[in-house]
Amino acid sequence: MLDLRVPSGWFFLIMGVILTVLGLFSGYSAALTTVNANLYSGLTMLVFGGALLWLARRAS
Amino acid sequence: MTLAYIDYLILAIYFSFVLGIGWVLKRGVSSSSDFLTSGRSVPLWITSLAFVATNLGAQELIGMCASGAKYGIMTAHFYWVGAIPAMLFVGLFMMPFYYGSKARSVPEYLALRFDEKTRGFNAITFAIMTIFSSGISMYALGLLFQLVLGWSFFGSILLSAAIVLVYTYLGGLTSAIYNEVLQFFLIVLGFAPLSILAVSRAGGWEGIKAHIDPRWVHSWKYMGDPSQNPMGVDTIGMVIGLGFVLSFGYWCTNFLVVQRAMAADSMSAARKTPLVGAFPKMFLPFIVIIPGIAAVALSNMHGGYELPLKPGGGPDYDQVLTTLMAKFYPSGLLGFGLTGLMASFMSGMAGNVTAFNTVFTYDIYQSYIRKDAPDSHYLTVGRLTTIFGTLASIGAAYLATLYNNIMDLLQLVFGFVNAPLFATFLLGMFWKRTTGHGAFTGLLAGTTAATLTHGLTVAEGKGGWITPMYEYRSTMAQNFWVATFAFLACFVVTVIVSLATAPRPKAELKSLVYSETVMPQEPETPWFRRPWPVAIAVAVICFVLNFMFR
Repeated sequence: MLDLRVPSGWFFLIMGVILTVLGLFSGYSAALTTVNANLYSGLTMLVFGGALLWLARRAS
Repeated sequence: MTLAYIDYLILAIYFSFVLGIGWVLKRGVSSSSDFLTSGRSVPLWITSLAFVATNLGAQELIGMCASGAKYGIMTAHFYWVGAIPAMLFVGLFMMPFYYGSKARSVPEYLALRFDEKTRGFNAITFAIMTIFSSGISMYALGLLFQLVLGWSFFGSILLSAAIVLVYTYLGGLTSAIYNEVLQFFLIVLGFAPLSILAVSRAGGWEGIKAHIDPRWVHSWKYMGDPSQNPMGVDTIGMVIGLGFVLSFGYWCTNFLVVQRAMAADSMSAARKTPLVGAFPKMFLPFIVIIPGIAAVALSNMHGGYELPLKPGGGPDYDQVLTTLMAKFYPSGLLGFGLTGLMASFMSGMAGNVTAFNTVFTYDIYQSYIRKDAPDSHYLTVGRLTTIFGTLASIGAAYLATLYNNIMDLLQLVFGFVNAPLFATFLLGMFWKRTTGHGAFTGLLAGTTAATLTHGLTVAEGKGGWITPMYEYRSTMAQNFWVATFAFLACFVVTVIVSLATAPRPKAELKSLVYSETVMPQEPETPWFRRPWPVAIAVAVICFVLNFMFR
């Protein structure tokens, strides 16, 4: 059966890349915070997605 | 709230992953049990997250944030008093019978343990209820996206229903479970930042405490007197009504959640599904409730955030979550958060549709319409039921737009039917003398008691349609007591009728009743991974959380 870690891992890697790039290069900001939320969320998702893929790879 | 192109791109990527997972899983479906029960082959980490995620629908997300703003940290009682003890109980004590009896559904367990009439009553009410709750959640989705983003009401309903239909039609229960886990990750990663940003803007937990009524930051301190706490409930009503009857009824007997554990790949995994699921469940209040509390503090500070108002005045708590997102999330993360919201609507619906499928195919069609067909026939029926269930949900959503009051009434009636169920299971599993006639009359008596309690008491103008004899401070307190009386009536009547009717022979009760079953032992598992130590760890952490926010 499909190892769920593979598609979820790729999904969060892609999301992580999109949000990190947005955080680094775009002027998107929110009304009530100066924190670069896109960047930090993006980096978290990169780590999470990578960890899922690494676990799936190790298991197979 | 306006979305940028990037937000739509994120939503589109999510949709393609969901459909892709369904497409890949299609290859693994070759029998009705693959389609309807995942062939009992799903690993523990997936079933345990799905167990929690099924309940984490979008209405739950929006509702918990709203309750956080309306009642404060007391809302966490739904987790730390309600869900957690019930999840420990179902894993330790009930799963050996659900999983060990080889029943394919909760109603089928009732058929094995009691008789056909008890199964039929449960299966039919459950089937109707799942369709309506699926319809109601689609209705809520349509309203939300219309209000927040200006999308077409029926457009968003039809789009999400079509996607759910495709992936559940392809991969069945496994597909629904996999997507629930993906949704769970999305919710955590998409909403934890909101909690962090809102709380830090308010100056941390200490800052919130300084700018809010103290009753909003203590979960136990003001419980002694219903007039002193924002929920208007008393300790006994809360602990017995919510903590015991309602939560145990939901987490231990509702097939929607129990089905996730029954799909696990072994008895050990089935028992540990709710136990392991309890770890993330305990910490969800920090993501779903705390932002609502922070919103009230921020609003009191007048620093740029105000609680949304209803057109007629008064705060519109259901919009707290989305207004917070609009204030704190830049484009990109905003799209991700909305994708999480959409995902939880869709997987809530998929959960209902797949549970409906199993109950309809096995407990209604195979039991009462066509008994001895080849398995491929039931696989086809299961697939067709998916289409029917989705269409019926859309119909129920449409009905909700026409007759909002009928939906309230239906939810009320199903509440009456559900309230006594836990007494039936408790007696059935732990008292071998319980008979089918006893269980059935007990259920009817419990439902009657619930109806009478609601008819004889009023709260916030609800109930009291027979004659108002007592007034509760809140509908929540009324719900707790309705459930308690239903449980008591069902318990007493089941015992009396059971004693008056002929018992079933002991030999027929093997793996159905505690005294006739050898509870599973796991000598080869390391001690810290056995069910009891895991459950004790959960209980200790849960106690600490209650203590910290007392």
